[in-house]
Parts: sequence; structure tokens; C-alpha cells
Amino acid sequence: MPTTSSPAKKLFDTVLFREIWEAMKVTFRHMFHRPMTFEYPREKRTIPDTHRGALALLRYDDGQERCVGCDLCEAACPSHCIKVISEEDKTRPLQRYAKEFYIDITKCVFCGYCVEACPVNALAMTKLYEYSTPDKRTLLFDKARLYEIGERYLEDGKRYLYAHNQEKEGEESRAYRYQFPVPVQKTPNA
Amino acid sequence: MALKPVTTPDAEAATIELTLDGKTVTAKEGVSLYDVIASTGKIVPAMCYHYTFDPFGSCGMCLVMQEGKKAPVRSCTAKATAGMVIRTEGEDLFLARKKAVEKHLSVHPLDCPVCDADGHCELQDTAFQHGVTNLANAKQKNIPEDTRSLVLDFNMNRCIACGECINICKDVQRIDALQFIKKGGFTQVVAKGDQPLVCEFCGDCLAVCPVGAITNKFSKYAYKPWQLRKTTTTCNYCGDGCQMYLETKDTDVIRVTSPLSWKNKWGDRADTVNGHGGLCVRGRFGFQFIDSPARLTQPLVRTDTGLIEAPWIDAMDLAAGRLAYVKAQYGAQAIAGLITARCTNEDLYVFQRFMRAVIGTNHLDSSARYGHMNFVRAMHRALGIGRMMNTSAEITKANAILLVGSNITETNPVASLRVKAAIGTYKAQVIVVDEAPTNIAKLASHPLLVKPGTEGLFVQGMVKSIVEQDLIDEEAVHAHPQAFAALQKAVEKISFTDISTQTGIPVDQIHEVARIFAEAPRSVILCGEGLTRQPGGYHHMLTLFDLAWVTGKLRQPGCGINAYIEEANEQGAVDMGVAPEFLPGLLRFDDPAAREKWSRVWGADLPPSGQGAHLMDILERCRSGEIKALYLVGENPLATLPASANVEAALRNLEVLICQDPFLTDTGRMAHVVFPAATFAEKDGTMTNQEGKVQFVRPALDPPGESALDWHIMAGLADALGSPMPYETTQDIQNEIRRELPTYYNLGRPKKVEARPDAYLASQYCEEVDQRYTPVTLPSENRPFRLRLIQLLYHSGKLSTRASGLMAISPNTKRLHLHREDLERLGIHQGGRVRLITDQGSVDLEVEEDLSVMPGSCTFPEHFTEPPLKDLVSVQLDPITGVPYFKLTGVTLEPIAST
Repeated sequence: MPTTSSPAKKLFDTVLFREIWEAMKVTFRHMFHRPMTFEYPREKRTIPDTHRGALALLRYDDGQERCVGCDLCEAACPSHCIKVISEEDKTRPLQRYAKEFYIDITKCVFCGYCVEACPVNALAMTKLYEYSTPDKRTLLFDKARLYEIGERYLEDGKRYLYAHNQEKEGEESRAYRYQFPVPVQKTPNA
Repeated sequence: MALKPVTTPDAEAATIELTLDGKTVTAKEGVSLYDVIASTGKIVPAMCYHYTFDPFGSCGMCLVMQEGKKAPVRSCTAKATAGMVIRTEGEDLFLARKKAVEKHLSVHPLDCPVCDADGHCELQDTAFQHGVTNLANAKQKNIPEDTRSLVLDFNMNRCIACGECINICKDVQRIDALQFIKKGGFTQVVAKGDQPLVCEFCGDCLAVCPVGAITNKFSKYAYKPWQLRKTTTTCNYCGDGCQMYLETKDTDVIRVTSPLSWKNKWGDRADTVNGHGGLCVRGRFGFQFIDSPARLTQPLVRTDTGLIEAPWIDAMDLAAGRLAYVKAQYGAQAIAGLITARCTNEDLYVFQRFMRAVIGTNHLDSSARYGHMNFVRAMHRALGIGRMMNTSAEITKANAILLVGSNITETNPVASLRVKAAIGTYKAQVIVVDEAPTNIAKLASHPLLVKPGTEGLFVQGMVKSIVEQDLIDEEAVHAHPQAFAALQKAVEKISFTDISTQTGIPVDQIHEVARIFAEAPRSVILCGEGLTRQPGGYHHMLTLFDLAWVTGKLRQPGCGINAYIEEANEQGAVDMGVAPEFLPGLLRFDDPAAREKWSRVWGADLPPSGQGAHLMDILERCRSGEIKALYLVGENPLATLPASANVEAALRNLEVLICQDPFLTDTGRMAHVVFPAATFAEKDGTMTNQEGKVQFVRPALDPPGESALDWHIMAGLADALGSPMPYETTQDIQNEIRRELPTYYNLGRPKKVEARPDAYLASQYCEEVDQRYTPVTLPSENRPFRLRLIQLLYHSGKLSTRASGLMAISPNTKRLHLHREDLERLGIHQGGRVRLITDQGSVDLEVEEDLSVMPGSCTFPEHFTEPPLKDLVSVQLDPITGVPYFKLTGVTLEPIAST
């Protein structure tokens, strides 16, 4: 606002509430503008596939656990929040599996190294980020919880892996990743 | 360092010079070129090489360029010759080695993530070092895993056919349980004859396997090497005192490894005379007792309803109160204590100080009393020493070894490798005198099978033969003519015909082995429980002394008398004075100077010198009511001694029985207070092995629950009794021992003991020698069979029965082992039932055919109390040392018709 305006104009502006109208102009302009914010609990943001959210353990399509308990995620984790207790699966030859699997999500820095380290793509990151709780103890995700997340957010997990080029979609996928134990029967092209 | 080992330790190979990467190095002629390179500190990768055996040359990695040759040569199988010009580095060699790694990797499955060797894999390391990223034509072997063995799984997909497992089994262990076989188009390692592996399960093949082809069933898939915390400690099973790494994860023991590994492949083969760094089945696979759920975690006190858990303060208060009461009411002589020789030196030292200085009694003993005390007492009397005379290097390089009454491959498996090396590498003549065809007898040049219980008689025969064949060492004998005259007179009483009929050995053979023993420049006597734990054990030890003395072996270097020990720290128990006859430092308890010294150190008067009851005497006095309180640290006499020793009656008679043990034992169930104690894996301290090496025991874990270290409990009791001992840490105890026994902590390098027989020969010898050579009359033959309670390779005392791994390998079959002839004579088949009758009673059990049992005898492992065979054995006491003998007894077997 110029300070050198005439007294007449000043009076005119005062009488007509010119500043109010100026302000209202902005307000009314926004009535025709797309909203910048959204109402979070009722409305949700679209999250990209590469998003690093809560970790999940995945299963193969036949329901078998992918995780072979190799402890490599534990070794890769920079914040030491993963603990794997592995064991031999006595019922299946050569099968190693994780008897217990813990991720202390309060320590997790969501770097995604564990997912990268996993040779069988058993770990994936989902778009889940709503797990705030009044009880901190529930933030130690155990194996059951991680598989539950994996089941519920299977699509997210898969998309994360595709997006990070760790797994291919469809038929290609089997050739793209390791399978442990290595099948004993001869492969047709061998 | 040798391609072909030196067969005579006296011969020296010629020294040669060769050029290595432009530098001149000297080496012994004929050794492997790889050894020469390794000795300069250069590391050339090799996957099939290990210094403990001859180079095998299968991996093709150790390539070097030799001047004058177009292609690289394998340095391990090439012999170093004078004037060689060798290049070990260069781009061409790197590429040649890379090609070799690629060859191995192309048939190796890339299942590293699930492989137990991941992170501890030589193939992985070399592939990484050589930057192998692409494999042109990889293929899979698709061999199913061989899981037939009880201990080891063979995954031959991962095998790189380096042959290390086969070579160590053949060259070091001399068991030869593994072989290569061509199956399914690939060379595979299988147990001999492609059968399920049944061997001694020492696990050395597992240790040297550079990949994950051989894995351990007990820790399979439970770990990754980088997760494990390695604690270097000393094995707690036998007197060999092997160094081992206890690998733990949180509160669990995952596996046990040892210095023997593919990672320590560079060394001098001549150094293996001091041990090859491996373990036996007990050390490697018997670790499960440490984190067993059966461990006691809370003190227990007896109430009307039985033993209930109680807080430490209550249990300690009760125990101390009762001890104080007994001491006040009946005097200190009414209290006695026993401790196991599996405790550390510090525990043992504090224990005897607690008993002597705090309680004021000399009634204390350790499990060394079960046999080792015979050897110590005899050697202490005759030679003024208290442990075996030879180092393992001297045993390995001996020309003649007399191994009497020791199934050494079963009782002390790692020490037996020294005898095996003496046989195999140094071509020693080994005379094995035993009552069964043992494994070492199969390798020995002179295996002699004597009748059960006559090993001592055989040694007497040898002495007689030496005296009469005039094989004596003039110099040794002439120094003590009266002593020799007494010996001559003594041996005259026994006749060769008697010895021959009773031992079952022809006279000629006795003469022959006597000649071999006497004429060899370095002869070593090794004995074991077959002498120390047989009736007359103390005299047998002195007979061995006679044998060594008249042949001059006491003064010649590299000769000596040695006894193998059953429990880990029996030597330490004796050295620490846990015996009524000794003060710490092997000083006699009645020696006034020693008494004065120790009473000054402890600031307390010692119990009067005439007193002191040993193990069996203590139990006897408990029975008679003379002893009212007994403090047992890790001892379990109820399960160890036969029923005829009447331990139960003795313990029932007590007013106070305090047990301190990691487990609730049979004796513990009778106790008034049970303290939960720590095992060796939780202790900080030292242990003394049979050679006198004082080695460290380091804590790998925290004691579970509220259990505490043994000496903590003793110090607590002393506090509660009002005369505290000044120890805050183990270091304080060690400082006290170091101050008073300055050379005791020898860091595993014991000083050579010096035999001083002169004092004994000049004084008491003449009177005593006569008693040893008495014509033995064997017990009447109304019991046709001889039952022997034997030690098994897979077990040690009762402790190993708590280790699930060892129980899986060798469960209690509850079967009596008999020779086939006897089975036929009794008219029963394998699995049939017999009634075993002795003077003490009878028991029914099944039989098993066993070719390692002689006809006329039957065996049962002493480790198992079920069926209660040991209760049928009579106990004999040694009149001098008080050692209880209960390993051998006459029995009658009656077949029971199967219904």
C-alpha cells in the first residue's frame, strides 16, 4: 500500500472496507482452487510403489514361507534391529527356516538394506505406516506379525520388489530369484 | 614342514638354497615347496593343503612359476630342490588361480545363504579375492544329502573334493573312516564302503572342511559364523586338556571348535608333536549339558515335603548354621568335604583352604582318589614328582612305548594321537598290554592280550625278565647295589610259568617285549586305569618304577613313566592339595615347614597332622557316625560308587549334607541344602592337564538363573561362618597361589620334571620292594566270567550323560557286551536275556555281541547307572592309598529263556 495516497482516497477506502474486499478476493479465489491439503484420517495420500514402510515377510504362492533363515538381513541391518533364530526343518531335506524372526521397528531406520540382502525376497516393504500404539512393546514385530502384514499387504510388498528391480512379475519371476534348497531333481535343460 | 615326514627324529635333512621372488631362502631338502613359501610369510591360496598331513594337490590353487617350466606348477606337491627359481606373484598366476576357482565354483551350488559355512568358507573367500563374478557353464550335481550318520551330514553338492577330511582321518587320526567314491558322475566323499559313517566322531573332518560339505547335525542351520561369540577355554572332559573355542549366541552354546581349522593351515608339521589342535567327540559334540534345561538355577533346601527352592540368603544361612552347629557340638573333625576334579584350580584351592582354615578339618578329598592318586603317591614317594614325566613331544618321538592297561583311544583320544603318530610317523615299537583288543592295539607292533586284571603281573614279569636276561642299565643299578640285590631277591619269588599261565602271555613274548623296552634308547611307559584302578594299583605304579629304574630309563632323556587321567583337573586337585596327605604344592601335610608356611598364609592353625580321612574313609566315618556333616562340591558318590560301598547308609546317617552341583544328582536328592553351581563354561580360572600345563578356563556365558561360581559359594559360606576368606575376584586367588607357589602358573609350558630316585632307592626301597613281587593268586574261578566296567569314548564320568549330543551318539543300550563265543556257549543270541549274578546280587539284562570283548569277560559302561550293574561289584580298598577298586569282578551268567 503506497504511503503517499491522498486523504480523499484514504477516506474512500475506509468507508468502503476496501481491505476486507481485497482479502475476500483471495478467499473467493480459493473456492475455485483444488485443495492443497487433504483430511488425513478420512482421506489418504497415494503412495509410490518404492515407499519404504513397515516390513513384511512374504510367502510363495503355494503358501510356503519364503524365508530360509539365512540371517543375511540381520547382518545387513545397520541399526541391529533384526534378530533371526534359524533352525533345520526336520520334515524337509536341506530346508533351513527361521524359527523366530523379530524386527524391532522402533529401531528400524527404513533403509531397506534387509530387503536388498534377502536372497529369496522374503522381506519386502509395504505402504503400511499406521501402527502407532500406546504400548511400545507391540512394536517388536515377531514372525507372526510380519507374516500377517505380508498377507494383508501382499500387493504392496510385491510392488515394492518390482519397483526396486528385485523381482520380476509373472513367469519371469522364478528364474529371477534363488530357490533354497536347490531342487535335487534334474532340471530339464541340464 | 615336510612332504614326507622325517621317519627318524634323529636324522636331519640337508639344507638347500632356492630363490623365491628374487630372494634367496634356505630350506630342508625334500620338503614341499609350498611349505617353503609359507615359511617366508607369503600366502599362496590353497584349498586342499593343511600342515598336519602330506600335501594332496587336488585344488590346483597353489600355482607358482618355476624357471625353466612353461606352465605353472602346483607348489604343494613339488619338492623343494637346490637352485630352484620360483615366482609366486604375477598377473598370469592370478588368472591361472582364478580359472581354478571358477572350475570349482562351476559345480558348486550357490546356496551360500543357507550354508553353515557361509562366512567361514575358503571357496567363498578365494572367489571373492579373485573377483569371480560370472560363471560360463555352471551345472548342478544334484546329489541328495547323506544324513545317515548320527553326527555329520554330508552335502556332496558343496564338496570341492579337496580331500582334507580324508587325509586328516587317515594321516592324523589314523582311523581312515572316509574315502572318495565316484558316484553319479562326481567324486564324492563317503564313509568307508558307502555305509553310514560310524567312526570315533572326532569331527576333525568337519573342522578342516573348507566349504560346507560336512556339517554338524547338532548345530546345523542354527547359526552364521559371524553371530557367534568365541571363547577360548579348556575342555572339561578328560585330562588331555585340549584347547577349544566355545561358540555361543546369547545364552546358548551353538558349537565347539578348536584351533584345528582350514583357516590355520600354515604350520610346521613337526609341531604336531605338541598336538594338532583338534578335539575328540566329547569335546566337540558334548557341549549340550552347559545350557541344559536340567541345570539348577535356584538353591534348594529340604523341608518336610522335600526339596524346595529357596532364596540364596535362606539356603546359605541354613547351611552355615548347620555347619556351625556341628562344629560346635562335635568338633571340626565331624565335618568332611569332597570335591570333583572338574573344578578349576582356584575352586580347588579355595575348597581346601575352606575345609582346613575355616572349618579346621583335614577330611577332604577329590575325585583324583579314584585312581590318579595311586600314580601321584607312588611317583611322589619314589621320584619326588607328582605328575607324568614326558611331554607329548617326547612320547611322539619315543622308540619304544609300553602302553599298559589303557584303552587310550577311548579314554584320552587326543593324547592317543601322539601314540598313533609315534607308530605311524616315527615308527616306534609299541607294546600294548590290555585285556581287550583295543583300537591302539590294532595299530601297535606288539599287541598283547592279557587276562583281565593281570596287567600288573605282566609288568612284574617284564621286570623279572629284564633282571634275568641281564638287560639292566649298569650305571643306574651300580649306584644302588643293595636296592638291586633286594629287587633280584624279590623277583626270584615269582616264576615265569605262573605269570605266563595267569596272564596268558607266552614267556618268550615277555622276554621279547622286555628286550625291546630295555634296548630302545627312548622308551616311554604309559599307563591308564587298567593299572591305576585295578587292585594293587599303588604297587603296580612302583613296579613300573622298578622297570624304568633297572633299564636306566629314569636317567636317560626322553624316557619316563606317565599315567593318563580321566577327569579334567585331577592333576590340579592333587597340586592344589585337595587330599588329606598333601598341602598345596605337593607338600606333605605332616611336613612341619610346609604346615608353618600355609598356616601363616591362611592366618589360621591347620588341623593336627595325624588326621585326615580320604574318600572311602570319610564315607566309612559317616556311616559310623563319626562324621556328621558332609560338603560335596560336584561329587556324586551315590552314583559313582557301587552299592556295596554303602554310600546311601553313610549319607542317611549325616546330620548335614550340603551338595553343590550344576545338576540335581542322586546324592543331591538326599541333601539338606543344594547350591546351584556353575559349569566350566561360566568359570574364570585355570586347569592343569595331565602334562602339567596350566591352562585358562574363560567364561563364555553367565551362570544360568541364580547359580553361582563354586568358589563364590565357598567364600560365602566362609563369610557366614564368621571367618571370611580375602577373595573378591578369581584374580585374588590366583595372586595368592602365584605368590606362594611361584612357578605354578606356567602358561601351558610346564617345566620338565626331574626324577630323583636316589633318596628312595637308598632308604625304604629294600624293605618295600619285596611286597610288590608276590605270587598273585587270582580269585577262585567259581564265577566264570569277569565283568569289566569300562569307559566309553563317547562318555566321561557321569557328566557326559547330561549332554544330549553324546547320548544321541551313544545311548545307554542297557546291554551287556559279550564275545560271540560266549554267546554261543550260553546258547543265546544277540538281544537275548541273561541273569548276571555276583556275590552282591543279580540283575537281568540283554546281551550284545561285541568282538572287542575277550571270551570269558563281559563289559558294561561305567557311565550308566541303569541297569544297576555297578551295584553288583565288590569294592576293594588299596591299603596304602585308599583308592577304591570296583572296575572288575567275577560274575556268573545264566541265560534266561525268552518268553
